[in-house]
This record gives sequence, C-alpha cells and structure tokens, in this order.
Amino acid sequence: MSQTVFAPWNDPDETPLIRFKGVTKRFGGFTAIDDLTLDIYAREFFALLGPSGCGKTTLMRMLAGFENATEGTIELSGQNIAPIPPNKRAVNMMFQSYALFPHLSVWENIAFGLKRESTDKEAISARVEEMLRLTRLTKFAKRKPHQISGGQRQRVALARSLAKAPKLLLLDEPLGALDKKLREETQFELMDIQEKTGTTFVIVTHDQEEAMTVASRVAVMDEGRLVQVDTPDVIYEAPNSVYVADFIGDVNIIEGHATPEGERARIDWAEGQPPIWGTPRGAAGTGSGAGKVAFAIRPEKVAIAKEKPEGRRNLLEGQVIDIAYLGNSSTYHVKIADGRIFKAQTANTRRLVNRDITWEDRVWLSFTETAGVILEG
Amino acid sequence: MRKAFLIAVPYLWLLLLFLVPFLIVLKISLSDIALAIPPYTPTLDVSAGWQGIREFFAALDFENYVFLTTDDLYWKAYLSSLQIAGVSTLITLAVGYPIAYAMARAAPEWRPTLLMLVILPFWTSFLIRVYSWMGILSSEGVLNQLLMGLGLISEPLQILSTNIAVYIGIVYTYLPFMILPIYAALEKMDESLLEAAEDLGCSRLSAFWLVTVPLSKSGIIAGCFLVFIPAIGEFVIPSLLGGSNTLMIGKVLWEEFFSNRDWPVASAVAIILLLILIVPIVLFQRNEQKAREAEG
Ligand SMILES: Nc1ncnc2c1ncn2[C@@H]1O[C@H](COP(=O)(O)OP(=O)(O)OP(=O)(O)O)[C@@H](O)[C@H]1O
Ligand SMILES: [Mg+2]
Repeated sequence: MSQTVFAPWNDPDETPLIRFKGVTKRFGGFTAIDDLTLDIYAREFFALLGPSGCGKTTLMRMLAGFENATEGTIELSGQNIAPIPPNKRAVNMMFQSYALFPHLSVWENIAFGLKRESTDKEAISARVEEMLRLTRLTKFAKRKPHQISGGQRQRVALARSLAKAPKLLLLDEPLGALDKKLREETQFELMDIQEKTGTTFVIVTHDQEEAMTVASRVAVMDEGRLVQVDTPDVIYEAPNSVYVADFIGDVNIIEGHATPEGERARIDWAEGQPPIWGTPRGAAGTGSGAGKVAFAIRPEKVAIAKEKPEGRRNLLEGQVIDIAYLGNSSTYHVKIADGRIFKAQTANTRRLVNRDITWEDRVWLSFTETAGVILEG
Repeated sequence: MRKAFLIAVPYLWLLLLFLVPFLIVLKISLSDIALAIPPYTPTLDVSAGWQGIREFFAALDFENYVFLTTDDLYWKAYLSSLQIAGVSTLITLAVGYPIAYAMARAAPEWRPTLLMLVILPFWTSFLIRVYSWMGILSSEGVLNQLLMGLGLISEPLQILSTNIAVYIGIVYTYLPFMILPIYAALEKMDESLLEAAEDLGCSRLSAFWLVTVPLSKSGIIAGCFLVFIPAIGEFVIPSLLGGSNTLMIGKVLWEEFFSNRDWPVASAVAIILLLILIVPIVLFQRNEQKAREAEG
C-alpha cells in the first residue's frame, strides 16, 4: 500500500475527469437534476447515495449519453460531451434493469461490446472467460438470460460492463440482488479491478455500508441536488445537515438552542433538563453553534451504564424500553426525561447472559463533548 | 367426464371440418370421371353389402396423380404459385416491417388507433377491395389518369392483367397479417436494450441489426408464413387482377372443377397442394412453439 493519501479533490493542480457545471435536467415540467455542480477525478470510486427518485440514474444516463442536460455542461477529460453519441464515449454503464440481450447467451452478452471493437476471436474469448471467472458465471456461459437467477443476471450485467475496461464505468446498483457474502466479495473484486486498471467508477447504491466500504468519496443527493460530497468518514462523522446525518447510519437528533461558551457550546433542549455540551465546527460553515440548532450523535458514541458515571458533563438519565440484538452489537432504546427515545449502542464483547442491563432498568447515558455534531436546526 | 368432453370438442370440430372433407376429396381424387351426378365413379353402394365395399375399393386408383405428371401445366402452375407467393411474401415483409416498427415506436396513446387503421380494411368485403384495385390499375384507372395528368407518362401503363397487379393485390390483401405479428414482437421489446447496445459501441444501425431484428425474428417468421401459406392457393386475386398468362394453382383448380367438370383431377390437384402446404405449416407451428418457449 502506498502511504500517500489519495485525495485529488484537495489538490488544486489536479484536473477532474468529469465536470458537471450547473447541470439541470428537466423532464417536461419536472426537474430531475437541479443546477448540479460536481467534479469527479480520475481513479475515483465515487458513490451516489440518495432516496429513490432523487436523480441518481438520471445523472448516470447523462454521463452515458442517453439524456442531454437541459442546462449547463458536462465535461469528460476537459471536453464537452453533449455532442458525442453514446457509442463513441469511453464510458460503459451497467443498467439498473440489467438490459441483458434475451436472444444471446451469457457468453455472447459479455462478448457483445468486445466484438464491436475487435475481430480477434482469441482475445475476445480470453477476455470473456476472464470475466466469467471473475463473476463466477463460467458454469452458466451457455444459458440464456431467462434461464438464470436474478443475482446471476446482475452479475452478467456487471461482467458485460466491465469487459471493455472503459475509462469510466457507471454502475447503477450493481450488487443489490446478491447475498451479503457474494456482495462483499464482489465489492473487493471491484476495488481490486479499480486498483489494477485505474478505471474511474461511479456507483449508485442504496447500501450505505457498501458506499462506506468501496467509495473514495460519497455524494448524498436529495431531489436532484447534492447535499454533501465528502469522503465516507467525513460524511459519517461530520455530516453537514440533519438530512445527511439521518440518511447515513443511525443517529440521535435533539433540537435545541445553542449558546457559545468558550470552546464549547451549550445546548438547552428541554425545560428543567441539564444542557448538552457540544463542540461547534468552525471551518465547515454550518453549525456555527448559536441559535436554533440540531445536535446529532451516533448511538455507538453514547455510553450506557447502570451506575452514574463520574466526571461526565453530558449525562442523561432514562429507562431501557427496548433492546435490539444485532449479533456483534446491541442497540438500547432508552426513554429519557421528556419522553424522547435515545439510542445507545454497545459492542457485544461478552456473551448475552453476562450482560447486566435489561428491560425496564434505570440507566445513565453519557458522551463526550466532541462526540456529536451541532447542525443548523 | 367434463374434462374429456372439453378435450373432445376441438377434436370433433377438426374431424367434421377437416378430416371428413379431406377424406371425401381424397376419395374423389382416386376415382374416375363420369358423366353422372356426382360426376365421378365409383360411389359407395352400401346396399350391396360386403361385396359392394370390396368392389368400391377395387375401383380406386392413382390414375389422376399419374396424369398430373404427364401434363407440364400442373407442375408449372405449382412452381409459379410458389414463386408468386414467395416474392409477394418478401415484398410484404419489406413494406410491413417499417410500418410495424413505426407503430411500435409511436407514442403509446397512438398505438390503438394505428392498430385500428391496420385492421380497418377487413371491415369491407374482400371482393369489393379487389374490384376497387381493378378500378385503380386499369388503363383508364385512377393511377394511370393521375400519372398522365402529372405528365409522367404519355401512354397508359398496362398493369392490370399482369403479374404486377397480382403482386400488388396479394401484398395489399395480406399486409395486416405481416404487420400484426411483427408489431407484437417489437412492442414487447425493452427500449433499454438498444441503449445497452449503443453503450457497448453499436451505431444506431448495427443496434437495429444485432438487437431489434433478432428480437422480432419470431414475428417476422410468423408474418411470412401467414402471408405465404394462403397466397400459394390464392384464387380470387390472380383471376381478377392477373392476366391469361398468370399461372397459379388456385386458378387451375377452379378451371378443372368448374370449366372441365373433372372433379377427380381437380381433387388430385387439391391434395397435392395440401401436401405442399404441410411443410410450411409444420415449420410455422414449430416457430410459434419456439417463440412461446423463449417467453416462458
Ligand atoms: N424519462 C423520464 N420522464 C419523466 N420523468 C423521469 C424520466 N426519467 C426519470 N424521471 C423522473 O426523474 C426522477 C429521477 O429519476 P431517477 O431514475 O434518476 O431516480 P433514481 O435516483 O435513480 O431512483 P432509484 O433509486 O429508485 O433508481 C424521478 O422522479 C423520475 O420519475
Ligand atoms: Mg435509479
């Protein structure tokens, strides 16, 4: 592993591979993409995350050449791609619906793109075999798409888009139909391919864990706009809005009124309750730490104990009303003073029978002053 | 019991409407011409008992089939029918495919109307439509008047009473049978397949050849058979639009029956025609079966 951090987006000398400049896409009166500006760099593994219908597929279709931007320009390697037809772009797309050719076998589907640019039968055959091995489809090479399972079809679609080793690969929910184990293996295969070939990936996923695992950067979208574009850890640890915090992972959100006090900010959130102390984020722009705010904290950053812990400024008392056992961890749902449910998560390092907290117990929740983030309310 | 009855109905139907008439025609084709009513011999005389039945079968022979091979009129008529039907089928395909394609690509709210327009001609009598083609194609017909009016020709074109008129008639009549199955196949096609093909490096044209055409193949084959099979035995179109040198087996058959009153030879012609038709009919059935399997 190289020690230099891959972060071309922080390097002002780096030119992006893809540039969206004020791109808007309308279908009739409906705005699917709304004035979107975004740079994606070569060799990135760029993940698009967002609720259904937020415009992820539309964004990809514009890159692949099936939709034209209503306004704004899209550049690929510094060149406006609007006039370039899909078959002339060094871009391959894996369709959300797979779009496998029903009259061709799995083998022929994968070979389809290769045959368009080369007549070297042996090279094509070798490449197809390689793709079949990669996606574990060798056994099904002769079958037609309607003779294989949904997950196998998805892998054929993936293999077909990978086969040409394009400069830019667009994957629209490439692994959704695979079981967890196969999905994880394929994720690593994808990262491996990316490392070897230097292909730039743009991937749509509904699985945030997947986005966290594979992506160099994650874009969270909402109604055709980008809400936050950052590395997975920043998205998770320092979301810029309640929307992002809520969309990615589990989170406790408490609305209140913040007053800066030295390095910290004091958040009054309920009558007669001790305030919560947080740390305002200076540089990030939002969460100035004054006025109406939302305090967001991940459940795993909240400690839970039966005894009142010493020396903690952020303390909440409550009663356990539910425990969700997740195998490697448990999430406690704790009802605090104003009837609000607060979640705390602990790693299950001990066996179930040895754990002391159970339903109806009075417990103390505590967290440090830097554990949560203060967001614009 | 109920189930047996349900299965029996179509077979009974087939027996009454196909097998019985077929056996009658087959029997006549093995008989001899006679100046009688009906104009052939022998006829089965059941009152004579077992002896009568034996005599009846003894009188049957293949004479008429042998006769068909001695006169070259017959095999020439068969060949010419096959050729006219084949060429018409290809022309119908060439005309019908673009129409079906345009219909399948039209906005969904327009499609029922377009389908309606394709089927609409069936609402008038077939004979009337063929007669109106006579009016269009004759030397004083609409077409010639139009062309002469435009100054494109000075003499009227002789189209009626030629094979060209027969081709026009067959293509016109059977066009819907070509359009409908192709349209059905194209309409089912997922548009994103063409996008996928383009994404993988196809031009629009090669995507058409590599994706659209193969996916409409079953429709093309069905349409071709639906035109080819009835066109071979076509009688009305060649008699009304064709000339004296238009040779089609349907016409020969008609003349044997009604002009020569030679029922046995006419029946033999019909039986041979049926045997010829069995080949494309079986192929057609196989295509339908395959299409169903591919969907299933
Ligand atoms: N051809 C079209 N005509 C009209 N509206 C469209 C068209 N294509 C997409 N839309 C609309 O644009 C919006 C964005 O669609 P898009 O397919 O990009 O969503 P998505 O983010 O990929 O959703 P999902 O996660 O469900 O796949 C949706 O509201 C959709 O209804
Ligand atoms: Mg989508």
